Amino acid sequence: MKKKIFIAIMMVLSANLMNAQPITIKSEKVASVPLREINNALWTAATEYIVPIFPQNIANPMLAIPSVKNLKVKSINDGTTVGFLLEWTDSTKDIIVDADKFCDQVAIQLPMHPDTLPVFMMGNKKGRVHIIHWKGIWQNDVENGFRDVKDAYPNYWADIYPMAEKQGDGTNGKFAKDISASDYSKGQGNNFMPASYAGNPMSIFDRKEPSEECMAEGYGTLTTQTTQNATAWGVWENNTWKVIITRPIVSPDKDDAPLTAPTKIAFAIWNGHFENISGKKHYAQWTDLIIQK
Amino acid sequence: MATVKNWQLKKDMKYPYEENRPNKQIAYIFDTNKCIACQTCTVACKTTWTSGKGEETMFFNNVETKPYGGYPLKWDLNTLKMMGEQSWDKVTGAYKGKTIFDDTKGENVNGWRPAERDYAFPNMGEDECSSNVNKGAFFSGIHDTWMFYLARICNHCTFPGCAAACPRKAIYKRPEDGIVLIDESRCRGYKECVKACPYKKTFFNMVTRTSEKCIGCYPLIEQGEQPRCVQTCIGKIRLQGFLSKPGEAKADNPIDQIVHIKKIALPLYPQYGTEPNVYYIPPIHVPTDFLHQMFGPGVDKAVAAYKNLKNDPDLLAAFLLFGNTPKITHHYKREGDFTVSYNEAGEVLAKVPMTEPVYVRPYDDKDHGTFRHNTP
Repeated sequence: MKKKIFIAIMMVLSANLMNAQPITIKSEKVASVPLREINNALWTAATEYIVPIFPQNIANPMLAIPSVKNLKVKSINDGTTVGFLLEWTDSTKDIIVDADKFCDQVAIQLPMHPDTLPVFMMGNKKGRVHIIHWKGIWQNDVENGFRDVKDAYPNYWADIYPMAEKQGDGTNGKFAKDISASDYSKGQGNNFMPASYAGNPMSIFDRKEPSEECMAEGYGTLTTQTTQNATAWGVWENNTWKVIITRPIVSPDKDDAPLTAPTKIAFAIWNGHFENISGKKHYAQWTDLIIQK
Repeated sequence: MATVKNWQLKKDMKYPYEENRPNKQIAYIFDTNKCIACQTCTVACKTTWTSGKGEETMFFNNVETKPYGGYPLKWDLNTLKMMGEQSWDKVTGAYKGKTIFDDTKGENVNGWRPAERDYAFPNMGEDECSSNVNKGAFFSGIHDTWMFYLARICNHCTFPGCAAACPRKAIYKRPEDGIVLIDESRCRGYKECVKACPYKKTFFNMVTRTSEKCIGCYPLIEQGEQPRCVQTCIGKIRLQGFLSKPGEAKADNPIDQIVHIKKIALPLYPQYGTEPNVYYIPPIHVPTDFLHQMFGPGVDKAVAAYKNLKNDPDLLAAFLLFGNTPKITHHYKREGDFTVSYNEAGEVLAKVPMTEPVYVRPYDDKDHGTFRHNTP
C-alpha cells in the first residue's frame, strides 16, 4: 500500500515538474558522434537544453545541501549511435575514492517501456529503467591507471601479501608493495579481495570504459547489466564537467531501453566534494527525448 | 521507522526495519579484567581475514587502551558527542536519551564517517594511564590512576546500524546465527555503513572499493567452533556462544548465565541502541562514572558480582569454560569438582576442574641427585 502511495506521489510530482519545465531534447542527426572529443565542432554546434536539477529529498539517504542547479544537455546521433553531452558547473574535480573521499558522477536514465512510464527515481517494480552511469573514479582508472595502494601512499610498506609471497620476495627489486591489484587478483590472492572474488563490478582493476550500464526497478535495486555497450568520457576544465555518454540507438541487448520512438530521459548528478553518494544526489525528472532521423 | 523492543535499554525504540530476531544469536563475553593487550587476537584475525591488498589498515579485531586509545581515532567520543545527554532512569533502569536512530536528518542513522588518517593509529594511547601517578603512590597501596584494555570486534548487533543505513540492503543478519554480513557481490562502496556503525567496525577497502566487516568467522561457527579471536586468546578472556532471546534465558547456557541471569557482563555503549552482542565484564578498578557511560547502569552490580565470583559456584563454573575448548559450548553443568561443557548434541567438549590442582615439587630431586631452586 505504501509503495502504491509512493508511486502515486512520484507520478503527480513528476507531472507537476514536467508541466513547469516543458523541455523536449531533440537528438540531432550528424555524420558521426565524437565519443571523447568534448570540444568537437559537432558538439559545439548542437542545440543546448538546460534541465533544472533538484536535490533528492524523497527517500533516505537524502541530499541535504544541493550544489548543482542545472544541467546543460546536448544530444546528437549518426543513425547508429546516440550521444549526450552533459555539462554542469563544479568548482572541484573529484576523481578519487577513499575512506573519506567521494567522486563526481553523472547518469542518464531511460525507461524500458515509455508508454507505461515508471517512477523517475530509479523506476519501480515492473517499471524497469536503463541507467548509464559515468563515475569520476572510473575515468581516473582509464586515464591514469588504477589507483593502487602505492599510488595513494607512495612510502608505504607491506611485508607480504598472502598467496603472493613469491611475487614480492625481493627478486628483481620487486617487493610486496609493488604487486599490483590486478596481478594480485589474478592469483590466489583474490581470496583476500572479497568483492573481487565475488565478481563485484566495483572491483575491476583493468577497466576500459568509465561507464556502467545498469538496470533498476526502484531504490536499492541497481544492477549491472551483463552486456556493456555504452561509452562515456569526462573532461573537467574551467570549473565545469563535460561528460559524453553514448550508446547504440538500436541495441541487441534486451536490457537496453528502446530509443527509436519518442521516449523520456532523466538525469542524476553527484558532487564528490560534498560527499554525494548513493541517494545523496541531484536529479532531473523525466524529460521528453526524440532521436531525430 | 518501525518500533522495536531493545531489552538492553528496557524500552521501545525506532529502527528502520521490523524486529526480527534470529533463531540463534551469536554472542561473546570479554573479560576486560583478564586482557593484557597481547594482540594475539588482533594478529589471528588480521592474518586470517584482512591481510590482502586494500586491507592494510583494517582491523576487524583490535585491542585499545582506555581511556585515551581508540581505533579509528575517537570512534566512541564522536558518536557520544552527537547523541546529547544519555541518562538512565534510576528506578526502572530504562534509557532516557536518544539512540543513533533518532534525529537522523534525512538518513536512517545518525552517524559520522572517519577520515582516512583516523585508521592510521591503531595503537594510539596504548598503555597510557588516566593521569600521572603521584610520587610515592606506587608504594602506598591503591592509587586513583587507571587504564584498561578494551578488545573490540563487530558486535553482530540485533539492530545493526550498518544494515539500517545501507540503501541497497546489501547487509543482512543471518537467521541461523545472527551474524551480520556484507554481501560483497552487491556492495557498491557507498560507505553509508561506515558512517552508520557507531562501533566503526565496517571498513572501506580502497582497492576493491567496497566495504568489509568481521564475519564472525562463520565458517568456524558452522562447524561448531569458536571464532579465531576467541580460540587464540592466550589470556582466556573470551567465550563465544549463543544468547537466548530476552525472557528465554537458560541457566545451563553459560552465555545466558553470565549475561541474562547474573548480569555480570554488559553491552558496550548500549545507549547507541543497536543491541550489541559482545558483552564485557567491566574492569573492577576503574571509576564507575566512566564505566556507567561505557556499559550502562548495570555496572555496580556487575562489579560486585565479579568480586563475589568465588562464592558463586554456578557462575564460577561458567567462567572456567573461557578458553578451555575451541568448540562452542551450548550447555554446561557443574559436576562435583568439575565444570563440564557440552555441544549442541549433548557430547562432552571439556571437563575443567573447579579448583586448579596444586603440586608441590620436593626441593630435593633424588632422581638427579640435585636440589631444585629458582635461579635469579
